[in-house]
Amino acid sequence: MNAENLKGLLSAWAALMTEKKDWLIELDSVVGDSDLGLTMSDGFAAASGAAAESELTDVGKLAYQAGKAMATAVPSTMGTLMASGLMNAGKVLKGQEEADDAAFFQAYLDGVQNRGKAQLGEKTFLDGLAPAVEALKEGKTPAETAGIAWDAFENTKGMLAKHGRMAIRGEASRDMLDPGAAVAALLMKGYAEAQL
Amino acid sequence: MKKIINTPENFIPEMLEGIYAAHPNDLTFAEGDLHCLVTKHKQAGKVGIATGGGSGHLPLFLGYVGKGMLDGCSIGDVFQSPSAEQMLAVTKEIDQGAGVLYIYGNYNGDIFNFDMAAEMADMEEDIRVESVVAGEDVASAGPSAEGEPNKRRGVAGIFFVYKCAGAAAAAGKNLDEVKAVAEKTCANVRTMGVALTSCTVPRVGHPSFEIGDDEMEIGMGIHGEPGIRRGRLVPADEIVDEMMEPILKDIPYQAGDEVAVLINGLGATPLEEQYVMFRRVKQILDEKGISLWHTYVGEYATSMEMAGASISLLRLDDELKGWLAAPADTPFFKQFQL
Repeated sequence: MNAENLKGLLSAWAALMTEKKDWLIELDSVVGDSDLGLTMSDGFAAASGAAAESELTDVGKLAYQAGKAMATAVPSTMGTLMASGLMNAGKVLKGQEEADDAAFFQAYLDGVQNRGKAQLGEKTFLDGLAPAVEALKEGKTPAETAGIAWDAFENTKGMLAKHGRMAIRGEASRDMLDPGAAVAALLMKGYAEAQL
Repeated sequence: MKKIINTPENFIPEMLEGIYAAHPNDLTFAEGDLHCLVTKHKQAGKVGIATGGGSGHLPLFLGYVGKGMLDGCSIGDVFQSPSAEQMLAVTKEIDQGAGVLYIYGNYNGDIFNFDMAAEMADMEEDIRVESVVAGEDVASAGPSAEGEPNKRRGVAGIFFVYKCAGAAAAAGKNLDEVKAVAEKTCANVRTMGVALTSCTVPRVGHPSFEIGDDEMEIGMGIHGEPGIRRGRLVPADEIVDEMMEPILKDIPYQAGDEVAVLINGLGATPLEEQYVMFRRVKQILDEKGISLWHTYVGEYATSMEMAGASISLLRLDDELKGWLAAPADTPFFKQFQL
Protein backbone atom coordinates (compact mmCIF):
# COMPACT_ATOMS: atom_id res chain seq x y z
CA MET A 1 0.00 0.00 0.00
CA ASN A 2 1.07 3.58 -0.57
CA ALA A 3 0.00 6.71 1.31
CA GLU A 4 -3.12 7.15 -0.85
CA ASN A 5 -4.11 3.52 -0.20
CA LEU A 6 -3.66 4.02 3.55
CA LYS A 7 -5.89 7.10 3.41
CA GLY A 8 -8.49 5.03 1.58
CA LEU A 9 -8.22 2.25 4.16
CA LEU A 10 -8.64 4.65 7.09
CA SER A 11 -11.59 6.26 5.38
CA ALA A 12 -13.19 2.84 4.83
CA TRP A 13 -12.63 1.99 8.50
CA ALA A 14 -14.15 5.28 9.64
CA ALA A 15 -17.24 4.70 7.50
CA LEU A 16 -17.61 1.09 8.64
CA MET A 17 -17.22 1.91 12.35
CA THR A 18 -19.91 4.57 11.99
CA GLU A 19 -22.19 2.15 10.15
CA LYS A 20 -21.67 -0.55 12.82
CA LYS A 21 -21.70 1.82 15.78
CA ASP A 22 -24.95 0.55 17.29
CA TRP A 23 -23.91 -3.06 16.81
CA LEU A 24 -20.67 -2.42 18.71
CA ILE A 25 -22.52 -0.55 21.45
CA GLU A 26 -24.85 -3.49 21.87
CA LEU A 27 -22.01 -6.03 21.97
CA ASP A 28 -20.12 -3.91 24.49
CA SER A 29 -23.10 -3.24 26.74
CA VAL A 30 -23.19 -6.88 27.86
CA VAL A 31 -20.24 -6.23 30.16
CA GLY A 32 -18.59 -2.93 29.23
CA ASP A 33 -19.69 0.63 29.57
CA SER A 34 -21.08 0.45 26.03
CA ASP A 35 -18.90 3.27 24.73
CA LEU A 36 -17.01 1.04 22.27
CA GLY A 37 -19.18 2.01 19.31
CA LEU A 38 -18.61 5.68 20.03
CA THR A 39 -14.87 5.35 20.63
CA MET A 40 -14.33 3.37 17.46
CA SER A 41 -16.40 5.65 15.21
CA ASP A 42 -14.91 8.83 16.74
CA GLY A 43 -11.41 7.35 16.82
CA PHE A 44 -11.22 6.13 13.24
CA ALA A 45 -12.88 9.32 12.05
CA ALA A 46 -10.09 11.29 13.76
CA ALA A 47 -7.41 9.03 12.28
CA SER A 48 -8.91 9.26 8.80
CA GLY A 49 -9.37 13.02 9.08
CA ALA A 50 -5.75 13.58 10.11
CA ALA A 51 -4.49 11.37 7.28
CA ALA A 52 -6.71 13.03 4.68
CA GLU A 53 -5.25 16.43 5.52
CA SER A 54 -1.66 15.17 5.38
CA GLU A 55 0.62 15.45 2.39
CA LEU A 56 3.02 12.80 3.65
CA THR A 57 3.98 10.11 1.16
CA ASP A 58 5.79 8.02 3.79
CA VAL A 59 3.30 5.29 4.74
CA GLY A 60 4.92 4.86 8.16
CA LYS A 61 4.87 8.51 9.10
CA LEU A 62 1.31 8.81 7.87
CA ALA A 63 0.18 5.83 9.97
CA TYR A 64 1.95 7.29 13.03
CA GLN A 65 0.26 10.65 12.55
CA ALA A 66 -3.15 9.04 12.12
CA GLY A 67 -2.54 6.94 15.25
CA LYS A 68 -1.64 9.99 17.30
CA ALA A 69 -4.79 11.78 16.18
CA MET A 70 -6.79 8.77 17.28
CA ALA A 71 -5.03 8.55 20.66
CA THR A 72 -5.84 12.19 21.30
CA ALA A 73 -9.46 11.87 20.21
CA VAL A 74 -10.32 8.71 22.15
CA PRO A 75 -8.05 8.01 25.14
CA SER A 76 -10.20 5.10 26.31
CA THR A 77 -8.71 1.64 26.68
CA MET A 78 -9.75 0.37 23.27
CA GLY A 79 -9.10 3.73 21.62
CA THR A 80 -5.54 3.75 22.91
CA LEU A 81 -5.00 0.16 21.83
CA MET A 82 -6.14 0.84 18.26
CA ALA A 83 -4.02 4.00 18.17
CA SER A 84 -1.05 1.96 19.38
CA GLY A 85 -1.54 -0.41 16.45
CA LEU A 86 -1.40 2.44 13.96
CA MET A 87 1.54 4.11 15.68
CA ASN A 88 3.54 0.89 15.76
CA ALA A 89 2.78 0.29 12.07
CA GLY A 90 4.13 3.81 11.64
CA LYS A 91 7.36 3.02 13.44
CA VAL A 92 7.92 -0.25 11.56
CA LEU A 93 7.07 1.10 8.10
CA LYS A 94 8.80 4.47 8.51
CA GLY A 95 10.74 5.38 5.38
CA GLN A 96 8.57 3.31 3.02
CA GLU A 97 6.42 4.85 0.28
CA GLU A 98 5.14 1.43 -0.74
CA ALA A 99 4.54 -0.96 2.12
CA ASP A 100 3.52 -4.60 2.25
CA ASP A 101 -0.07 -5.11 3.48
CA ALA A 102 0.83 -8.11 5.62
CA ALA A 103 3.71 -6.18 7.20
CA PHE A 104 1.32 -3.33 8.00
CA PHE A 105 -1.17 -5.61 9.73
CA GLN A 106 1.55 -7.57 11.54
CA ALA A 107 2.95 -4.29 12.91
CA TYR A 108 -0.58 -3.18 13.87
CA LEU A 109 -1.12 -6.46 15.72
CA ASP A 110 2.26 -6.19 17.49
CA GLY A 111 1.52 -2.60 18.51
CA VAL A 112 -1.78 -3.60 20.11
CA GLN A 113 -0.21 -6.61 21.82
CA ASN A 114 2.76 -4.66 23.19
CA ARG A 115 0.44 -2.04 24.65
CA GLY A 116 -2.22 -4.37 26.04
CA LYS A 117 0.09 -7.23 27.08
CA ALA A 118 -2.55 -9.86 26.30
CA GLN A 119 -1.73 -13.29 24.91
CA LEU A 120 -3.58 -15.14 22.18
CA GLY A 121 -6.54 -17.13 23.48
CA GLU A 122 -7.39 -14.61 26.18
CA LYS A 123 -10.52 -13.43 24.35
CA THR A 124 -9.36 -10.07 23.01
CA PHE A 125 -8.93 -8.10 19.80
CA LEU A 126 -5.81 -10.18 19.13
CA ASP A 127 -7.87 -13.35 18.71
CA GLY A 128 -9.79 -11.70 15.91
CA LEU A 129 -6.84 -10.16 14.09
CA ALA A 130 -4.02 -12.70 14.51
CA PRO A 131 -5.54 -15.47 12.32
CA ALA A 132 -6.25 -12.88 9.61
CA VAL A 133 -2.67 -11.62 9.67
CA GLU A 134 -1.42 -15.21 9.31
CA ALA A 135 -3.75 -15.71 6.35
CA LEU A 136 -2.48 -12.52 4.70
CA LYS A 137 1.09 -13.72 5.10
CA GLU A 138 0.12 -16.99 3.43
CA GLY A 139 -1.08 -15.01 0.45
CA LYS A 140 -4.84 -15.24 0.99
CA THR A 141 -6.93 -12.51 -0.66
CA PRO A 142 -8.33 -9.60 1.38
CA ALA A 143 -11.85 -11.04 1.00
CA GLU A 144 -10.74 -14.45 2.27
CA THR A 145 -8.90 -12.77 5.14
CA ALA A 146 -12.03 -10.85 6.11
CA GLY A 147 -13.93 -14.15 6.31
CA ILE A 148 -11.23 -15.65 8.50
CA ALA A 149 -11.34 -12.65 10.86
CA TRP A 150 -15.13 -12.97 11.11
CA ASP A 151 -14.87 -16.67 11.98
CA ALA A 152 -12.15 -15.84 14.50
CA PHE A 153 -14.47 -13.27 16.10
CA GLU A 154 -17.23 -15.87 16.38
CA ASN A 155 -14.73 -18.30 17.87
CA THR A 156 -14.18 -15.99 20.83
CA LYS A 157 -17.39 -17.48 22.19
CA GLY A 158 -16.11 -20.28 24.39
CA MET A 159 -12.89 -18.51 25.37
CA LEU A 160 -12.31 -17.50 28.97
CA ALA A 161 -11.80 -13.73 29.32
CA LYS A 162 -8.63 -12.68 31.12
CA HIS A 163 -8.79 -8.92 30.59
CA GLY A 164 -11.09 -5.99 31.17
CA ARG A 165 -14.55 -5.97 32.65
CA MET A 166 -15.46 -9.29 31.03
CA ALA A 167 -12.81 -11.06 33.12
CA ILE A 168 -14.80 -10.19 36.25
CA ARG A 169 -17.50 -12.58 34.99
CA GLY A 170 -15.10 -15.52 35.18
CA GLU A 171 -16.49 -18.73 33.63
CA ALA A 172 -19.67 -16.92 32.56
CA SER A 173 -17.56 -14.95 30.07
CA ARG A 174 -17.30 -18.08 27.91
CA ASP A 175 -20.85 -17.52 26.64
CA MET A 176 -20.01 -14.05 25.33
CA LEU A 177 -18.57 -12.75 22.08
CA ASP A 178 -15.59 -10.45 22.47
CA PRO A 179 -16.31 -6.88 21.28
CA GLY A 180 -12.59 -6.28 20.67
CA ALA A 181 -12.45 -9.21 18.26
CA ALA A 182 -15.52 -7.73 16.59
CA VAL A 183 -13.50 -4.59 15.90
CA ALA A 184 -10.76 -6.78 14.40
CA ALA A 185 -13.32 -8.43 12.11
CA LEU A 186 -14.54 -4.99 11.03
CA LEU A 187 -10.98 -3.84 10.30
CA MET A 188 -10.49 -6.78 7.92
CA LYS A 189 -13.94 -6.27 6.38
CA GLY A 190 -13.02 -2.64 5.73
CA TYR A 191 -9.69 -3.71 4.27
CA ALA A 192 -11.43 -6.08 1.86
CA GLU A 193 -14.00 -3.46 0.85
CA ALA A 194 -11.38 -0.72 0.35
CA GLN A 195 -9.73 -2.79 -2.43
CA LEU A 196 -6.28 -1.20 -2.11
CA MET B 1 -29.36 13.59 39.60
CA LYS B 2 -28.96 16.37 42.16
CA LYS B 3 -25.75 18.31 41.57
CA ILE B 4 -24.56 21.90 41.58
CA ILE B 5 -23.46 22.04 37.95
CA ASN B 6 -24.25 24.06 34.86
CA THR B 7 -24.23 21.31 32.25
CA PRO B 8 -22.76 17.81 32.43
CA GLU B 9 -20.58 18.56 29.37
CA ASN B 10 -18.97 21.59 31.05
CA PHE B 11 -18.53 19.96 34.45
CA ILE B 12 -14.78 19.28 34.13
CA PRO B 13 -13.66 22.37 32.16
CA GLU B 14 -15.59 24.60 34.59
CA MET B 15 -14.17 22.75 37.59
CA LEU B 16 -10.71 23.39 36.14
CA GLU B 17 -11.43 27.07 35.51
CA GLY B 18 -12.34 27.29 39.18
CA ILE B 19 -9.13 25.53 40.23
CA TYR B 20 -6.90 27.91 38.25
CA ALA B 21 -8.85 30.96 39.40
CA ALA B 22 -8.52 29.90 43.04
CA HIS B 23 -4.80 29.08 42.93
CA PRO B 24 -3.32 31.58 40.46
CA ASN B 25 0.05 31.73 42.21
CA ASP B 26 0.54 27.99 42.36
CA LEU B 27 -0.95 26.36 39.28
CA THR B 28 -1.01 26.88 35.55
CA PHE B 29 -1.48 24.70 32.46
CA ALA B 30 0.63 23.63 29.50
CA GLU B 31 0.00 24.10 25.79
CA GLY B 32 -3.20 26.07 26.31
CA ASP B 33 -5.03 22.97 27.55
CA LEU B 34 -6.75 23.22 30.94
CA HIS B 35 -6.33 19.45 31.30
CA CYS B 36 -2.53 19.75 31.42
CA LEU B 37 -1.98 21.12 34.92
CA VAL B 38 1.53 22.03 36.11
CA THR B 39 3.06 23.71 39.16
CA LYS B 40 4.28 27.29 39.03
CA HIS B 41 6.96 26.46 41.60
CA LYS B 42 9.68 24.95 39.45
CA GLN B 43 12.78 23.73 41.24
CA ALA B 44 15.76 23.75 38.88
CA GLY B 45 17.37 20.40 38.15
CA LYS B 46 14.74 18.42 40.07
CA VAL B 47 13.31 15.12 38.84
CA GLY B 48 9.81 15.91 37.62
CA ILE B 49 6.90 13.86 38.95
CA ALA B 50 3.69 13.63 36.96
CA THR B 51 0.46 11.89 37.67
CA GLY B 52 -2.88 11.79 35.93
CA GLY B 53 -6.19 10.05 35.69
CA GLY B 54 -9.89 10.55 35.41
CA SER B 55 -11.72 13.33 37.24
CA GLY B 56 -14.21 12.81 40.02
CA HIS B 57 -11.74 12.04 42.79
CA LEU B 58 -10.60 15.41 44.17
CA PRO B 59 -8.23 16.06 45.83
CA LEU B 60 -6.87 13.19 43.72
CA PHE B 61 -5.07 13.64 41.38
CA LEU B 62 -4.38 17.28 40.64
CA GLY B 63 -4.67 18.38 44.27
CA TYR B 64 -1.22 17.09 45.09
CA VAL B 65 0.65 19.21 42.56
CA GLY B 66 2.82 21.60 44.53
CA LYS B 67 5.94 21.96 46.66
CA GLY B 68 7.30 18.72 48.04
CA MET B 69 4.90 16.53 46.05
CA LEU B 70 4.05 16.52 42.33
CA ASP B 71 4.96 18.80 39.42
CA GLY B 72 2.18 18.09 36.97
CA CYS B 73 -1.05 16.24 36.35
CA SER B 74 -3.03 15.42 33.24
CA ILE B 75 -6.77 15.42 33.79
CA GLY B 76 -9.35 13.29 32.06
CA ASP B 77 -13.12 13.49 31.97
CA VAL B 78 -15.01 11.89 34.85
CA PHE B 79 -13.51 8.42 35.40
CA GLN B 80 -11.80 8.59 31.96
CA SER B 81 -8.08 8.61 31.29
CA PRO B 82 -6.54 11.75 29.85
CA SER B 83 -4.85 11.27 26.48
CA ALA B 84 -1.20 10.39 25.96
CA GLU B 85 -0.80 13.70 24.15
CA GLN B 86 -1.92 15.58 27.27
CA MET B 87 0.41 13.52 29.43
CA LEU B 88 3.24 14.32 27.02
CA ALA B 89 2.47 18.06 27.23
CA VAL B 90 2.76 17.89 31.03
CA THR B 91 5.96 15.83 30.76
CA LYS B 92 7.61 18.37 28.47
CA GLU B 93 6.62 21.24 30.75
CA ILE B 94 7.97 19.70 33.97
CA ASP B 95 11.17 18.09 32.67
CA GLN B 96 14.20 19.95 33.95
CA GLY B 97 16.76 17.68 32.35
CA ALA B 98 16.69 15.18 35.24
CA GLY B 99 13.92 13.04 33.76
CA VAL B 100 10.31 12.49 34.77
CA LEU B 101 8.65 9.88 36.96
CA TYR B 102 5.03 8.90 36.30
CA ILE B 103 3.09 7.76 39.36
CA TYR B 104 -0.49 6.70 38.71
CA GLY B 105 -3.12 4.15 39.62
CA ASN B 106 -3.43 0.65 38.23
CA TYR B 107 -6.18 1.03 35.60
CA ASN B 108 -5.86 -0.14 32.00
CA GLY B 109 -6.82 3.14 30.33
CA ASP B 110 -4.26 5.06 32.38
CA ILE B 111 -1.55 2.43 31.89
CA PHE B 112 -1.97 2.35 28.10
CA ASN B 113 -1.90 6.13 27.82
CA PHE B 114 1.01 6.68 30.21
CA ASP B 115 3.01 3.97 28.43
CA MET B 116 2.29 5.66 25.11
CA ALA B 117 3.24 9.06 26.54
CA ALA B 118 6.51 7.62 27.87
CA GLU B 119 7.32 6.26 24.41
CA MET B 120 6.49 9.60 22.79
CA ALA B 121 8.62 11.45 25.37
CA ASP B 122 11.53 9.17 24.53
CA MET B 123 11.06 9.16 20.74
CA GLU B 124 10.01 12.74 20.11
CA GLU B 125 11.45 14.73 23.00
CA ASP B 126 14.42 12.73 24.28
CA ILE B 127 13.08 12.89 27.85
CA ARG B 128 13.77 9.89 30.06
CA VAL B 129 10.60 8.69 31.75
CA GLU B 130 10.16 6.00 34.39
CA SER B 131 6.82 4.76 35.74
CA VAL B 132 5.53 3.43 39.03
CA VAL B 133 1.98 2.08 39.05
CA ALA B 134 0.27 2.12 42.44
CA GLY B 135 -2.11 -0.74 43.23
CA GLU B 136 -2.76 -1.36 46.92
CA ASP B 137 -6.46 -2.18 47.23
CA VAL B 138 -6.37 -5.58 48.93
CA ALA B 139 -10.04 -6.16 48.09
CA SER B 140 -9.49 -5.94 44.34
CA ALA B 141 -7.21 -8.97 43.82
CA GLY B 142 -4.87 -11.29 45.65
CA PRO B 143 -1.17 -10.57 45.99
CA SER B 144 0.64 -11.06 42.68
CA ALA B 145 3.08 -13.93 42.32
CA GLU B 146 6.76 -13.26 41.58
CA GLY B 147 7.07 -11.90 38.04
CA GLU B 148 3.30 -11.55 37.62
CA PRO B 149 1.80 -8.08 37.05
CA ASN B 150 0.05 -6.51 40.03
CA LYS B 151 -3.71 -6.77 39.47
CA ARG B 152 -4.74 -4.60 42.41
CA ARG B 153 -6.42 -1.26 41.82
CA GLY B 154 -4.81 1.92 43.02
CA VAL B 155 -6.86 3.95 45.49
CA ALA B 156 -6.20 6.42 48.34
CA GLY B 157 -2.85 4.88 49.31
CA ILE B 158 -1.31 6.57 46.29
CA PHE B 159 -1.25 9.69 48.51
CA PHE B 160 1.62 8.13 50.47
CA VAL B 161 3.47 7.35 47.24
CA TYR B 162 3.16 10.96 46.07
CA LYS B 163 4.26 12.21 49.49
CA CYS B 164 7.37 10.05 49.83
CA ALA B 165 8.53 10.22 46.20
CA GLY B 166 7.78 13.95 46.12
CA ALA B 167 9.93 14.53 49.18
CA ALA B 168 12.77 12.50 47.68
CA ALA B 169 12.63 14.49 44.44
CA ALA B 170 12.54 17.80 46.34
CA ALA B 171 15.64 16.65 48.26
CA GLY B 172 17.50 16.35 44.95
CA LYS B 173 17.50 12.56 44.54
CA ASN B 174 17.96 11.33 40.96
CA LEU B 175 15.32 9.60 38.84
CA ASP B 176 16.33 6.06 39.80
CA GLU B 177 16.42 6.97 43.48
CA VAL B 178 13.03 8.71 43.40
CA LYS B 179 11.58 5.73 41.55
CA ALA B 180 12.99 3.39 44.20
CA VAL B 181 11.32 5.44 46.95
CA ALA B 182 8.01 5.31 45.08
CA GLU B 183 8.31 1.54 44.64
CA LYS B 184 9.22 1.01 48.27
CA THR B 185 6.19 3.05 49.34
CA CYS B 186 3.93 1.03 47.03
CA ALA B 187 5.33 -2.19 48.49
CA ASN B 188 4.41 -1.10 52.02
CA VAL B 189 0.98 0.45 51.59
CA ARG B 190 -2.33 -1.40 51.71
CA THR B 191 -5.89 -0.09 51.45
CA MET B 192 -9.41 -1.37 51.96
CA GLY B 193 -12.63 0.51 51.29
CA VAL B 194 -16.33 0.36 52.08
CA ALA B 195 -19.14 2.00 50.13
CA LEU B 196 -22.59 2.90 51.42
CA THR B 197 -24.06 4.74 48.43
CA SER B 198 -23.26 5.17 44.75
CA CYS B 199 -21.92 8.18 42.94
CA THR B 200 -23.48 9.57 39.76
CA VAL B 201 -21.41 10.41 36.69
CA PRO B 202 -22.90 13.71 35.42
CA ARG B 203 -23.03 12.68 31.76
CA VAL B 204 -24.71 9.40 32.70
CA GLY B 205 -27.23 11.04 35.01
CA HIS B 206 -28.14 8.08 37.20
CA PRO B 207 -26.27 6.28 39.99
CA SER B 208 -23.44 3.97 38.84
CA PHE B 209 -24.88 1.07 40.82
CA GLU B 210 -27.85 0.17 43.00
CA ILE B 211 -27.39 -0.38 46.71
CA GLY B 212 -30.11 -0.66 49.34
CA ASP B 213 -30.62 1.97 52.07
CA ASP B 214 -29.62 -0.60 54.69
CA GLU B 215 -26.70 -2.08 52.73
CA MET B 216 -22.95 -1.61 52.49
CA GLU B 217 -20.35 -3.13 50.21
CA ILE B 218 -16.99 -4.00 51.70
CA GLY B 219 -14.07 -3.66 49.30
CA MET B 220 -15.84 -1.69 46.59
CA GLY B 221 -13.59 0.30 44.24
CA ILE B 222 -13.72 4.06 43.77
CA HIS B 223 -15.55 3.73 40.46
CA GLY B 224 -18.03 1.26 41.89
CA GLU B 225 -16.06 -1.85 40.98
CA PRO B 226 -17.45 -4.91 42.77
CA GLY B 227 -16.15 -5.51 46.28
CA ILE B 228 -15.72 -8.59 48.42
CA ARG B 229 -19.02 -8.71 50.22
CA ARG B 230 -22.32 -6.86 50.20
CA GLY B 231 -24.41 -7.03 53.32
CA ARG B 232 -26.48 -5.19 55.86
CA LEU B 233 -24.93 -2.11 57.35
CA VAL B 234 -23.39 -3.01 60.73
CA PRO B 235 -21.87 -0.86 63.54
CA ALA B 236 -18.67 1.06 62.73
CA ASP B 237 -16.41 -1.16 64.85
CA GLU B 238 -17.53 -4.27 62.97
CA ILE B 239 -16.97 -2.56 59.62
CA VAL B 240 -13.48 -1.47 60.62
CA ASP B 241 -12.66 -4.95 61.98
CA GLU B 242 -13.64 -6.47 58.63
CA MET B 243 -11.54 -3.90 56.72
CA MET B 244 -8.46 -4.09 58.92
CA GLU B 245 -8.11 -7.86 58.97
CA PRO B 246 -7.08 -8.31 55.31
CA ILE B 247 -4.84 -5.21 55.42
CA LEU B 248 -2.91 -6.51 58.42
CA LYS B 249 -2.70 -10.04 57.04
CA ASP B 250 -1.47 -8.95 53.63
CA ILE B 251 1.85 -7.33 54.59
CA PRO B 252 1.84 -9.22 57.12
CA TYR B 253 2.19 -6.92 60.11
CA GLN B 254 4.10 -7.93 63.23
CA ALA B 255 4.18 -6.53 66.74
CA GLY B 256 6.67 -3.67 66.88
CA ASP B 257 5.97 -2.42 63.34
CA GLU B 258 5.39 1.29 62.90
CA VAL B 259 2.65 2.70 60.66
CA ALA B 260 1.09 5.79 59.23
CA VAL B 261 -2.70 5.59 58.87
CA LEU B 262 -4.88 7.34 56.31
CA ILE B 263 -8.62 7.41 56.89
CA ASN B 264 -10.15 8.67 53.65
CA GLY B 265 -13.72 9.79 53.13
CA LEU B 266 -15.18 8.96 49.71
CA GLY B 267 -17.11 12.22 49.41
CA ALA B 268 -20.33 12.05 51.42
CA THR B 269 -19.12 10.57 54.68
CA PRO B 270 -18.57 13.20 57.38
CA LEU B 271 -15.33 13.62 59.30
CA GLU B 272 -17.17 12.64 62.47
CA GLU B 273 -17.77 9.16 61.08
CA GLN B 274 -14.18 8.98 59.85
CA TYR B 275 -12.92 9.67 63.39
CA VAL B 276 -15.26 7.00 64.76
CA MET B 277 -13.58 4.63 62.33
CA PHE B 278 -10.11 5.81 63.28
CA ARG B 279 -10.87 5.22 66.97
CA ARG B 280 -11.38 1.53 66.21
CA VAL B 281 -8.28 1.39 63.96
CA LYS B 282 -6.16 2.68 66.85
CA GLN B 283 -7.65 0.08 69.21
CA ILE B 284 -6.75 -2.69 66.77
CA LEU B 285 -3.20 -1.37 66.31
CA ASP B 286 -2.77 -1.26 70.10
CA GLU B 287 -4.04 -4.83 70.43
CA LYS B 288 -1.52 -6.00 67.84
CA GLY B 289 1.40 -4.06 69.29
CA ILE B 290 1.75 -1.95 66.13
CA SER B 291 2.82 1.58 66.89
CA LEU B 292 1.11 4.54 65.27
CA TRP B 293 3.58 7.10 63.95
CA HIS B 294 1.29 9.54 62.16
CA THR B 295 -2.38 9.83 61.20
CA TYR B 296 -4.17 11.54 58.34
CA VAL B 297 -7.99 11.82 58.39
CA GLY B 298 -10.06 13.52 55.72
CA GLU B 299 -10.84 13.46 52.03
CA TYR B 300 -7.80 12.40 50.01
CA ALA B 301 -9.31 10.33 47.19
CA THR B 302 -13.03 10.60 46.66
CA SER B 303 -15.69 9.32 44.34
CA MET B 304 -17.83 12.44 44.04
CA GLU B 305 -20.93 12.02 46.24
CA MET B 306 -20.28 8.41 47.21
CA ALA B 307 -20.69 7.67 50.91
CA GLY B 308 -18.10 5.41 52.40
CA ALA B 309 -14.47 5.45 53.41
CA SER B 310 -11.18 3.68 53.03
CA ILE B 311 -8.42 2.80 55.43
CA SER B 312 -4.80 2.81 54.24
CA LEU B 313 -1.82 1.69 56.28
CA LEU B 314 1.78 2.46 55.35
CA ARG B 315 4.40 0.37 57.11
CA LEU B 316 7.32 2.61 57.93
CA ASP B 317 11.05 2.32 58.32
CA ASP B 318 13.47 5.15 59.03
CA GLU B 319 13.80 6.07 55.36
CA LEU B 320 10.04 6.27 54.68
CA LYS B 321 9.50 8.17 57.94
CA GLY B 322 11.99 10.75 56.75
CA TRP B 323 10.18 11.26 53.44
CA LEU B 324 6.73 11.26 55.04
CA ALA B 325 7.86 13.83 57.60
CA ALA B 326 9.13 16.32 55.02
CA PRO B 327 7.11 19.50 54.47
CA ALA B 328 4.67 19.83 51.58
CA ASP B 329 2.56 22.66 50.26
CA THR B 330 -0.09 22.08 47.58
CA PRO B 331 -3.55 23.60 47.13
CA PHE B 332 -5.14 20.56 48.80
CA PHE B 333 -2.43 19.32 51.15
CA LYS B 334 -0.18 21.27 53.46
CA GLN B 335 2.16 19.87 56.07
CA PHE B 336 4.93 21.35 58.21
CA GLN B 337 7.98 19.19 58.92
CA LEU B 338 6.72 16.44 61.25
